[in-house]
Amino acid sequence: MLASPLHPEEAHRLQVLRDLNILDTAPEERFDRITRMAARLFEVPVALVSLIDADRQWFKSRLGVPFAETTRADSFCTHTILQDGVMVVEDATCDPRFVDSPYVTVAGARFYAGYPLTAPDGSRIGTICVLDREPRALDDAGRELLRDLAGMVTNEIAAAELRRVHARRSENDAWLYGLLQHIPDGVLMLDRGGSVICGNPAAEHMFGSDTGGLAGRLACALLGEDAALLLDPQHDSEAPPQEGGGHRLDGSTFPIEVKVAPMCMDGQQRYAVIVRDVTRQHELTLRSRATEERRRKHFTTATHELRTPMASILGFSELLLKRDFDADTNRELLDIIHRQASRLVDLINQMLDLARIEAGGTEGLNIGTVNVTELVEQTLSGLNGLGQNHRIHTELEADLPPIAADPLKMQQALTNIVSNAIKYSSEGTRIDISTAALHRNAKLMVAIRVADRGIGMTPEQQARIFDAFYRAGDSQGVQGSGLGMTIFKEIIELHGGHADIESRPGAGTAVTVWLPALPDHG
Amino acid sequence: MDKTILIVEDQDDLRLLVRLSLKSLGRILLASSAAQGLELVRAERPDLVTLDVWLGKGDSGLDVCRAIKSDPATAHVKVLLLSACGQQSDVEAGLEAGADHYMIKPFSPQSLGEAAAALLAAA
Repeated sequence: MLASPLHPEEAHRLQVLRDLNILDTAPEERFDRITRMAARLFEVPVALVSLIDADRQWFKSRLGVPFAETTRADSFCTHTILQDGVMVVEDATCDPRFVDSPYVTVAGARFYAGYPLTAPDGSRIGTICVLDREPRALDDAGRELLRDLAGMVTNEIAAAELRRVHARRSENDAWLYGLLQHIPDGVLMLDRGGSVICGNPAAEHMFGSDTGGLAGRLACALLGEDAALLLDPQHDSEAPPQEGGGHRLDGSTFPIEVKVAPMCMDGQQRYAVIVRDVTRQHELTLRSRATEERRRKHFTTATHELRTPMASILGFSELLLKRDFDADTNRELLDIIHRQASRLVDLINQMLDLARIEAGGTEGLNIGTVNVTELVEQTLSGLNGLGQNHRIHTELEADLPPIAADPLKMQQALTNIVSNAIKYSSEGTRIDISTAALHRNAKLMVAIRVADRGIGMTPEQQARIFDAFYRAGDSQGVQGSGLGMTIFKEIIELHGGHADIESRPGAGTAVTVWLPALPDHG
Repeated sequence: MDKTILIVEDQDDLRLLVRLSLKSLGRILLASSAAQGLELVRAERPDLVTLDVWLGKGDSGLDVCRAIKSDPATAHVKVLLLSACGQQSDVEAGLEAGADHYMIKPFSPQSLGEAAAALLAAA
């Protein structure tokens, strides 16, 4: 037997066949009806719609054959797809191509007539064929009939392909529609004159419009004049986004970024526009600028604060070295040097402390369950050295819920406010420390209140009390770095708490610290 | 003729330091605030004012300097700014306010004395 030749564009032909997604699909009446018709018209026992795969022929429709596929090597149809028009084998036993084929020797086929089937692009993908166990001839009418039946099969294949393309397109459309509906950026399509044709929900939301409410509006009214300048058919859509001011329909404005891509649709000039509301980014930039400014100011102030005691130390020591003073003056100047050197050390320690607390954040805290009464008592025993504890009256609520806190840091925070109360009130006046558990904004909080009857503060002084290095009033006589309240606030906020300050000049100051109580208490 | 020097400084220790540094150069007047300083400038017409820049309570020595230099009656008074603000921009701001000299804290009393003597010689 002769080897089956291959189609000259076999690879392409196979690809087209596979892309049709017809191989190994279930039988379909629209094809079966054609094979039934063929068998009846040609009065043969076997009629097939055969598709020629790489190494098999697979029957999309079969009549009189019990199997869905056979090997390709010995098949008639492999030859049919190589030629134009009908291929007829009147008696296979007389044809050297097929005389040894098992279709002939085993299945007993003698007569074959087939017509190639073509895919929409013209590729030969298979045949419609009829077979008989008797040798016979096929006249012209029979040939035409077979050609017409092949045409019907081809039409069915094309129709299926068409349906498939259409389904794929509506799937794409649905995908695109869903994407535009849900994409968080505003998308607008503009006509050549810069009027909105349509916008997605994000764009409508951004500009404060109802559904469909952007249509017909001019881009310059929504995006500002600068962005409208981008509406140029030559505009480079790769250009970086243009920043500008967006105008909502209610007249309010917001910062936007706009990208424009000129496009052509149905022969018309159009523009695809992406609008992004950058309010949040702007806020972040402003906030980071403010932080930067605060840092710069902090650095300047810190330098100033360090240079001031250094001026005394350097200046007075130089005077002592170069001039002769009487013993009293010598002592006075040494005293100043010593005091200012202590102040310098204190400042440096506090600055390092603040920097450590800021850098460590909540991760730098050594959190444990803290009993507030013990916390207050430990703070007071730490302040014993100031010799002022007799002025302090405590009223500590029994059975307070515990708090989650770093006990040492919290003690440091309390020390700062209690020592301020001592420093800014006169000898002999009373200082009250009280604690309570209270609900604030539906949360159980522990309040620690420290109230003095000292010099108090004006509202202007109160407003600056947490500023680094700020010291209220004429505080030359009062020791301190000016960082105590800054450190206090930092520690309290790291613990999720906050502080209230009530103060009146001449009447005194009360600081109340609010800290969240541990929820599982009692 | 004896020269008059006004020291405007809110910190007691530093006021003493400047006074000790300059006392050999003439009569010394002391002020601890901006208002007191301006009052003394107008009343005493000193030859030189040493002026702290951060005077506390939000008062600025730069404002005092501008006030001295913009009043024709006191514009001739030499002003030496003494400040713990040591950045180039601080120095420029001081000179723009009309100061004749800008000295950064900490300073050497001897250098302060020399700078003050030079300003008094030119006064």
